[in-house]
Amino acid sequence: MDPSLLSTRQLTKRFGTRTAVDGVSFAIQPGEAVGLLGPNGAGKTTTISLLTGLLHADGGEVLLDGRPLTGDTDPRKRLLGLVPQELALYEELTARDNLAYFGALQGLRGPALSEAARSALGFVGLADRERDKVKTYSGGMKRRLNLAVALLHDPQLLLLDEPTVGVDPQSRNAIFENIEALRRRGKTILYTTHYMEEVERLCDRVIIMDHGRIIVDDSLAGLKQRGTSVNRLRVELAEVREGTWLESVRALSAVRAAEFDALTLELTVADIARGTTEVLACLQHHGLTVTGLATHQPSLEDVFLQLTGRTLRDV
Amino acid sequence: MTQILAIIRHDLKLYFSDRRALIMLFVVPIGIASFMGSLFGGSGGKGGTGGGLEILIVDQDDSAVSRGVVAAFVNDSTFRVTVTNEAAARALVLKGQRSVALLLPPGLGTDALPGLFNSARRPIVTLLHDPSRRMEKSLVEGMLVPKVIGSVAQNSLRPEQAREFIHQGLTNLSRDNRPNLPNRQIYRELLERADKLLATRMNQPLFGPTAAGTNVAGTNAFTLPLPFATRTEALTRSSTGDYNGYAHSFAGMGLQFVLMCLLDFAIGLLREREAGMFRRLRVAPLGRGTFLFGKGLSLALISVLSLTGCFAFAMLVFRVRVEGSWPGFVACLLATSLMTASLALAIAAIGQTPAGTRGIGIAVTLLLVMIGGAWVPAFVFPQWLQRVSLITPTRWAVDGFDAMTWRGLGAEAAIMPVAVMLGFTALFGAITWARLRWDAE
Ligand SMILES: Nc1ncnc2c1ncn2[C@@H]1O[C@H](COP(=O)(O)OP(=O)(O)OP(=O)(O)O)[C@@H](O)[C@H]1O
Ligand SMILES: [Mg+2]
Repeated sequence: MDPSLLSTRQLTKRFGTRTAVDGVSFAIQPGEAVGLLGPNGAGKTTTISLLTGLLHADGGEVLLDGRPLTGDTDPRKRLLGLVPQELALYEELTARDNLAYFGALQGLRGPALSEAARSALGFVGLADRERDKVKTYSGGMKRRLNLAVALLHDPQLLLLDEPTVGVDPQSRNAIFENIEALRRRGKTILYTTHYMEEVERLCDRVIIMDHGRIIVDDSLAGLKQRGTSVNRLRVELAEVREGTWLESVRALSAVRAAEFDALTLELTVADIARGTTEVLACLQHHGLTVTGLATHQPSLEDVFLQLTGRTLRDV
Repeated sequence: MTQILAIIRHDLKLYFSDRRALIMLFVVPIGIASFMGSLFGGSGGKGGTGGGLEILIVDQDDSAVSRGVVAAFVNDSTFRVTVTNEAAARALVLKGQRSVALLLPPGLGTDALPGLFNSARRPIVTLLHDPSRRMEKSLVEGMLVPKVIGSVAQNSLRPEQAREFIHQGLTNLSRDNRPNLPNRQIYRELLERADKLLATRMNQPLFGPTAAGTNVAGTNAFTLPLPFATRTEALTRSSTGDYNGYAHSFAGMGLQFVLMCLLDFAIGLLREREAGMFRRLRVAPLGRGTFLFGKGLSLALISVLSLTGCFAFAMLVFRVRVEGSWPGFVACLLATSLMTASLALAIAAIGQTPAGTRGIGIAVTLLLVMIGGAWVPAFVFPQWLQRVSLITPTRWAVDGFDAMTWRGLGAEAAIMPVAVMLGFTALFGAITWARLRWDAE
């Protein structure tokens, strides 16, 4: 049996002539934190809609806990907690009434429901505002409540669709800490975002989508490994010296390319650590004085740019 | 079950958190129904004093007969009479301030009776009317004939004239020299005796409005009764015996605003779908049937509350009574609520988007309440429209309420409206089930 908590096989969804999700296959193991990245319109939200049964796939299948869902009322749906990209909250109701409603739809009731609501509100730091109408909340507070609703029934797998979008840095950090705490509690997470640093901070694995297809599905480390050609090293020298030293540097095994201009030496290296050591030794050997050194490791942004030719925030 | 109750509790909370919706649901229908009720006859007790069609009469004859016609209209509570001159009457009707004016011509008193025998002398009564008010014109026209005949009979046909006819008859009899005229002797005796009787009653009316033998104007004299009398009877089984305009208007307006509010609510449902609320519902182990059933029930409950509020107000303030069967009334209220709830959902299912639903919804609601007789009672409609209106669920709702309130009919009169409305509920429910999208596509 498939040990994955959630897996998809050749998942496909078309809207008219546009294929929003195109043969997507991936699997998420229990306890994993997976980042789902992609520019606007890549098909991230559509994929999540297919996972939760909001949309019906035109092809392929979704397996939850090894088997496809058997219908709307399949109790295994309780394994899923969804934080939608939109703020799906009733503005006219209090936080507590919102939680009471969505919790009851998950089948919670009585003291269990009150306890779940209380603990979810406490977790996102809204306990003191539970009796206020949601419309009186700030944007960041609404985002936190949006998260709390998904946690009510204590799901094993959290599907987070850009949970920090449009939020000030402070609230964003608060939400982020919440999610990290959930991760430490052993929750499985599928995290959709445009923000590189969030994925780097939170996830062990990254899936990058573009035009409805998966273009990368790899561990964070493996992904950076692919980005070798963009490891950069910049060395500042004290004086300009003629001679063969530049040829010697270019001949080093870790060095892919080197350019010298004014007092700056720009290098592309296969590996930062080895490259730095070799280059500094070579320069010293030629009697050159180094006044500055900077390294630049590739971010996901660079990787994405390299893989797709577009930056992540392009439309 | 937990889920259905949660949906209902949630929807009511949501509804009652919106003050504007509450005003639409309770205050507006009560206000408009009060106004409409007062237009269409008010409540039974007040009908006689405030009501009545205002008409003008110009008496250019000023004879006993013409005064008798005026008096007959004045004494008829259907009318409120103002006597005026022709110029004023024409001006008022022209301006639309009165719908009908009656011109009683000079010579009406002297010529009306001979006119029966000689069309050249027939006096002409003129009816001035506002062309936009045909009903009123017909009403006055219809009442004119019996009132004129009555007055002529009472005031114009006097014993002395009758004796002239008798003398004429006797003369004709004696001039007729056919040898074997049958019963000649009997006719002569009859006429002579009648002449003798009339001679004792000179200068007194020959016909009276009352039956023979009763006391007229202080004499013990015999009077002939008018050839006919009219008696009106309002056919309701209510104890007050009257049409209560408020009973009808509160049913109609209550229904209209319930429909509008529920529609608003159904539009809210579509908006929720657009806002991604359905994502949360879909990710929960919640069946579509449970969801729609819960929504339908909460809409029905809102409808029950609003209709109950409207009728309670009408009962407290306008003395509307359930003159018929209380169980029948409650059954009508519940069936109406289910019907309106399912109708609102069906419209949303067909409209698909909030904007589309608003458009269809307004058109359908207005059409249904209009032909359903929620604005004006269906019984004033032309025949064909009354028949057409039977295919609208609203007509059955209004008829059911009318039957149980002012018509005062028994529970059996509620069976048909309730059954038809439940049938419509099933139909609308099926449409909703088939058409209301629950996915995000
Ligand atoms: N209901 C729909 N009807 C038609 N097209 C749709 C629908 N939903 C999504 N699409 C299209 O499918 C494609 C993928 O959209 P999706 O919302 O999945 O992108 P996304 O990766 O979530 O983007 P974003 O980062 O902006 O949220 C887009 O081209 C979008 O226009
Ligand atoms: Mg999206």
